[in-house]
Amino acid sequence: MFRIVQRASVVVHSVAKQSLQRPAAAVVSLRGKHGVQESDEAFDARYENFFARPDIDGWEIRKAMNDLQGEDLVPEPKIIIAAMKACRRVNDYALAIRYLEAVQDKCGNRLKEVWPYIKQEIKPTLDELGILTPEDMGYDKPELALKDVYDM
Amino acid sequence: MNGQLVRSILRGSQLSVRALSTSGPVRSSEAALDQAARDKIHPKLGNRDVVGWGFNGTASYVDREEFPLPAVRFKENTPDVMALREKEKGDWKALTLDEKKALYRASFCQTFAEMKAPTGEWKSIVAAIITALAVTGWIVIYMKKFVYSEMPHTITRQWQEDQLNRMLTQNQGRIEGISSKYDFEKGEWK
Repeated sequence: MFRIVQRASVVVHSVAKQSLQRPAAAVVSLRGKHGVQESDEAFDARYENFFARPDIDGWEIRKAMNDLQGEDLVPEPKIIIAAMKACRRVNDYALAIRYLEAVQDKCGNRLKEVWPYIKQEIKPTLDELGILTPEDMGYDKPELALKDVYDM
Repeated sequence: MNGQLVRSILRGSQLSVRALSTSGPVRSSEAALDQAARDKIHPKLGNRDVVGWGFNGTASYVDREEFPLPAVRFKENTPDVMALREKEKGDWKALTLDEKKALYRASFCQTFAEMKAPTGEWKSIVAAIITALAVTGWIVIYMKKFVYSEMPHTITRQWQEDQLNRMLTQNQGRIEGISSKYDFEKGEWK
């Protein structure tokens, strides 16, 4: 009787191991969400196409940017380029600078590693549109002080 | 309730409106409201543009790292801001650094660097803790000096030594207690 149990447990273990190995090949990116998992390229393409819409308006741009800020990633340079061009289309310079600052914030404590790469990729677009980086604007250090509401 | 208010005002002023969601700020491209209507719906908005949905649908402004673009611009549309906006429609390379900064500050209150700047609050917290400990220390001294009664006389060193000697002389605890630890022949502890 114990022989049978032992055999059965060995079989169960081997089947479990096989079924665990298979998904690693099928899923390209793990996002830990329910349903179909979007690949990285599909995610990037979705946002790039969204920003590339010619009739986009400020409302939609802000919605997409805020959503991107909520994702656990630093946006690809091509998404950032598309966002900058979208800002140019709606004639909103402050929006572009704000979004660059937001991208720097998403880099977290690895800013020195990630930001030079991003800057190198997007610099041609920034120069073409006339957008300064936050450092060039002087916004990498605090400029003005805000009085605390509790001190008013 | 907010949606009904909007719809009744708009119907009254005979503007055409696409289907609005029930509450939240109105998209400026769809329906133009006059200032009186705006003051009714958004009492503290003033002349400012509503530019997005914000994080909860109200026309609010908060500086947040995780939500960089709030629902309204920060400053009101004064004539010089409007002049800058006209210039913004042209080539951005023609804007000076001061104009670019002015445009940023018109839309936003604090930059990210200012948002995340340390406040030095920890110093006041540490100071408060040390003060509290100091006050407690003074209370302890006061209690010892004025409140507590004298210590019992049996607590002095001399008394305790005599007490121990007495216990050994009487052979207390000779099996497993204190006397069993004392070597009476040699006159010292085991």
